[in-house]
Amino acid sequence: MRRATLTALSLALTLALSSCSPAPAPQTDTVFAMDTVMELTVYGDEELLGEAQALIADTEARLSVTREDSEISKLNKTGSGTLSGGTAALLSRALEICALTEGALDITVYPAVRAWGFTTGEYRVPGEDELSALLKKIDYAAVKLAGDTATLPEGVLVDLGSVAKGRLGDDLAAFLTENGVTSALLNLGGNVRTVGAKPDGSPWRVGVRDPFGESYLGILEVRDVSVVTSGGYERYFEEGGEVYWHILDPATARPAKSGLVSATVVGADGTLCDGLSTAVFVMGLDRAVELWKAMTGFDLVLVTEGGEVYITDGLEGSFTLSGDYKTKELQVVRRG
Amino acid sequence: MVKTRTLVTIILCILLLAIAASLFLWLRPAGGRVANVYLDGELLYSIDLDALTEKKTYTVETDRGVNVLVAEPGRIRVESADCPDQVCVDFGWLTDSAAPIVCLPHRLVIQLTGETDVDAEVGG
Amino acid sequence: MNLKRLCRDAVLTAVALTIFIVELQIPDLLPIPGVKLGLANIVTVTALFTLGPVDALAILLCRILLGSLFSGNMMALVYSLSGGLLSFLVMLLLKKILTAKQLWAASVFAAVAHNLGQILAAVAVTATPSLFIYLPILTVSGVVTGLFTGAAAQFAVKRLSGVLKN
Repeated sequence: MRRATLTALSLALTLALSSCSPAPAPQTDTVFAMDTVMELTVYGDEELLGEAQALIADTEARLSVTREDSEISKLNKTGSGTLSGGTAALLSRALEICALTEGALDITVYPAVRAWGFTTGEYRVPGEDELSALLKKIDYAAVKLAGDTATLPEGVLVDLGSVAKGRLGDDLAAFLTENGVTSALLNLGGNVRTVGAKPDGSPWRVGVRDPFGESYLGILEVRDVSVVTSGGYERYFEEGGEVYWHILDPATARPAKSGLVSATVVGADGTLCDGLSTAVFVMGLDRAVELWKAMTGFDLVLVTEGGEVYITDGLEGSFTLSGDYKTKELQVVRRG
Repeated sequence: MVKTRTLVTIILCILLLAIAASLFLWLRPAGGRVANVYLDGELLYSIDLDALTEKKTYTVETDRGVNVLVAEPGRIRVESADCPDQVCVDFGWLTDSAAPIVCLPHRLVIQLTGETDVDAEVGG
Repeated sequence: MNLKRLCRDAVLTAVALTIFIVELQIPDLLPIPGVKLGLANIVTVTALFTLGPVDALAILLCRILLGSLFSGNMMALVYSLSGGLLSFLVMLLLKKILTAKQLWAASVFAAVAHNLGQILAAVAVTATPSLFIYLPILTVSGVVTGLFTGAAAQFAVKRLSGVLKN
């Protein structure tokens, strides 16, 4: 009888204790930089976070358009400048993406963004004359880069904000990987970079915000990629019953109304994903799908004004609709 | 044959252990106020109850039936449902308990956790 | 002989169903799925210990199926079925090692097994392992209700075995 009791007790205890196996503790850090809150979660050495912070600070110091002493600000002020290796490489890559997207991404749209008040928060709708004058200053092809020396025509201003966070994510991921980290999540203000998978081997779960509500549109299960969303629902203003959002169409210098309300790009190249998310939002569904079919290395989640959700076939199985979208039909776009 | 005393002891042990475990599990706070709503085990909503400023209603409708959820700052409940047992409605408000609200007929689970069921969020 | 057996099992099924439906009218004791008296199990236990496994299983399955149908809760069928079958299995095993006077104990283990079966089904159906948090409280509930139905069944077996067997 004693034995039965003891067996029952020890069995129950074993069961109770076995559910409490310790998980490795992540190192986390919150950094305010590049106009946003960044959250770093790294499974690895604590010291790596300090160096990651330094990398973020350096990136911001080089690329910020609001900091007077950044390389980009100096270039914009004087019309020419010798850039550091990293900045020159990013400018070169950004110009490539502008060309790839036939100007749907244009790093020289900055004067227009400023005129609409999106840099300061003092929103206004520029008049027709002002817009056509601004339009003449938008031309990424006018940016010349020879070696590390960049030159801009009079009045043309460059902003690498549309690719900076993507590149930062790539740089951070490369730095962490070099230092033996196999699991990290870098949330650079809604621009997410994942390194490896979670420590338990399961993929990272990235929620894509519902452009029309508070919760998620769907959830992406990913590893080793960047996830970047562009949408018109976070930074916008209303005037005279019209909504104006911060993503401008370089072809009109007005907020891009392409029929999309949210564009998410998923891929291994964070710089490309970042630049493409803006471009795809500007291009609209049909042109975006065409671009996707012509290229490799990324996938898309697109939401139209009507609330329809399109994904490209590479995300089949890793993207699931959630919330109010659960009952909707997911449109899967395939090649060919 | 087994002695009755042995049976009584085993049953008593099970009972005491179960009571202890119940108390431990139920008195333990949920450790957060994010309500994750699951349908068929898949995340449907992830509602940060502390971030809510006003009452919000969520209607979960499937071919099995309807559950109407009401979330308020700090708490959530099933306001009405067309399930036969009404256990989910009778549960009342879920405020700080690790035990989930369950509607078995509709395969709906509402669980409080420390954080949302996603690791990061993208939006723009 | 067969006709008699059929009638007897049918009557017992009807009794179980009646108890089941009447119990549904009692408000839930706790807002936890699965916490209930389970009075209909008195019939299952009684049948198992007087008539044997085949008749008891037939009565159990008919009661679960018709009970779900009559109460309009067909969605609960999978939970009742997995709970019912697991508890039946446990009782069948215990019947081999317990005497008639220890029938109440078989009922306790059966009730606990019933609730375990229900949770297993619920976890499988909803794909939510965290439902296991209900296991301890359902075990407590199973012990208590199992004692009650077990005592009732033991009483019924003592009084009815003569009537039922022939």
